[in-house]
Amino acid sequence: MNRTKIRKKKKYDNCAYAMIFPAYFVFTVFILIPIGMVLYYSVTNYNLYTSPDFVGLKNYINLFKDEDFFIAVKNTLFYSVFTLFPQLAIGLFVAVILYRKSKLIPVFRTAFYLPNVMSMVCMSMVWLWIYDPTFGLLNSILKVFGASTKQWLQDPNMAMPCVILMGIWKNCGYSMVIYLSGLTSIPDSLYEAASLDGANALKKFTRITWPMLRPTTFFLLVTGIVNSFAVFEQINIMTSGGPLNRTTTIVHQIYRRAFLEFKMGYGSAMSVVLLLFSIVVTALVFKFGSGGQDVDVS
Amino acid sequence: MKKRKIYHIIWGVLMTLASLIMLTPILMMVMTSFKTMDEIRSATFSFLPEKFSLGNYIMAMSNGNWLIYFRNSICITLAAVLFSLLFNSIAGYAFARLKFKGAGVMFGLLMVGLMMPAQVTMLPTFLIMARFPLAGGNNIWGIGGNGLINTFAGLIIPLVSGSYGVFLCKQFYENFPRSLDEAAEIDGANRWKTYFSIYLPNSKAILATLGLMKSVSVWNDYLWPLVMTNSDSHKTVQLALTMFKIDTSIQWNQLMAASVMVVLPMVILFLCCQKYFVQGIVTSGLK
Repeated sequence: MNRTKIRKKKKYDNCAYAMIFPAYFVFTVFILIPIGMVLYYSVTNYNLYTSPDFVGLKNYINLFKDEDFFIAVKNTLFYSVFTLFPQLAIGLFVAVILYRKSKLIPVFRTAFYLPNVMSMVCMSMVWLWIYDPTFGLLNSILKVFGASTKQWLQDPNMAMPCVILMGIWKNCGYSMVIYLSGLTSIPDSLYEAASLDGANALKKFTRITWPMLRPTTFFLLVTGIVNSFAVFEQINIMTSGGPLNRTTTIVHQIYRRAFLEFKMGYGSAMSVVLLLFSIVVTALVFKFGSGGQDVDVS
Repeated sequence: MKKRKIYHIIWGVLMTLASLIMLTPILMMVMTSFKTMDEIRSATFSFLPEKFSLGNYIMAMSNGNWLIYFRNSICITLAAVLFSLLFNSIAGYAFARLKFKGAGVMFGLLMVGLMMPAQVTMLPTFLIMARFPLAGGNNIWGIGGNGLINTFAGLIIPLVSGSYGVFLCKQFYENFPRSLDEAAEIDGANRWKTYFSIYLPNSKAILATLGLMKSVSVWNDYLWPLVMTNSDSHKTVQLALTMFKIDTSIQWNQLMAASVMVVLPMVILFLCCQKYFVQGIVTSGLK
């Protein structure tokens, strides 16, 4: 009896390969092979019409000299930092406040999550109108209070903060829902024990809630970084990268170079830079986010 | 006790206010969709429209072939969601329950997809689609025609894969009691049968969660259809919406009416599946 059990453990299920085949095939053809291709094309001068010629690191050298791309990298990082952290902070704050027994919770949760379900294209249109200098909501409100109106998206100094504000608004509900589900997994007994020891609300938060939510924060950070590095839709619709390139981003530059100017080689080099950025930053988060302890992402 | 009640009321009022602030842009979108352009242009701002008429909706929907755009978006979303659910859940089951050589490495590789934006591979994926052999006038070497550009296949296939889906399904199935497998084995069921008759019927929560997430992301996708299509007959609703912006003087009321139409299906889906969605997040251990 014992022997058969041991033998069974060693047996491999070869039908597993057939089971993972469909998902893995699509993954290989549309993620793995493209990563290889993008590396290859980044050292060629491919332009969609002639066959690609090897040009060495010329694309990368040009990238360093390309002022638009430099600004795009700067803007993308600026956007990521200033949407991600406020979004997490608001999400956590609202989740902690919301977490109590009440029949109203699903209503509030829905209200906060709703912007996240709506398409970025639609929401960009709505915010385009909100920011519209002549008919927009913001300026109408300012007029009611007698304040002077602003140009918002047309103002080089205001455009990026406007885009960021909309990003925070759209995504903080997501962080909130994930934090809320993280909160439900913290055992009540911890808080009860803390109460007995006479801990106040702030202490409970810093000593129990925040450490227990660490895996949640970690998860949100990793997915948030990947998402905000890819910012494109609202930029293309609301500002087209303007004014004065103040809102152009890496993906926006890739789109412009590769699909409007057909510089596939150059666009590939940009994609490689985006890939490196995401890998380096996620690796850093993995390294320092776990802080020496075993973080259970699952 | 009384103090507690007062706190609760203050809490309710504050959260209601916060929710209203969050919903303001959405409410304004709905209100504006009923207004006339004169009302929008007028110097005095009012929240409610003078009267609720569907005029803007009719005008917006007759601007372009909206029936076709909706049909396209619905077809693409349905196909992508169905295939990705099936593929991802069966792969998740295999990774969670079956022993096979290279499982760890293959799963690790799959997770690369989680750590980078999909936009990194957009350009080569487009080239693969354009060079797809024996499609759209291409010869066997993928030269000569347009490949899968401007086809539904080209729009759908890349969306079917999903590292995230496989990851979530694996997590979900790992929480299933192992005794289920053993019972199935005693009954003589093979792995396929075990999956289809035990695992699949018991994964409503995760499938609803994933299905909802995937529907939202596919329906709302803008960049991939923008790159892959240039004909009116394959336009999705998101692309169609941007047509309103091309005019020099934007008809805000019609644009907002069309936006409401475009977000409505996902809002309804979300409100219906909410229970599953939250439940799925908790049970899949995505915390």
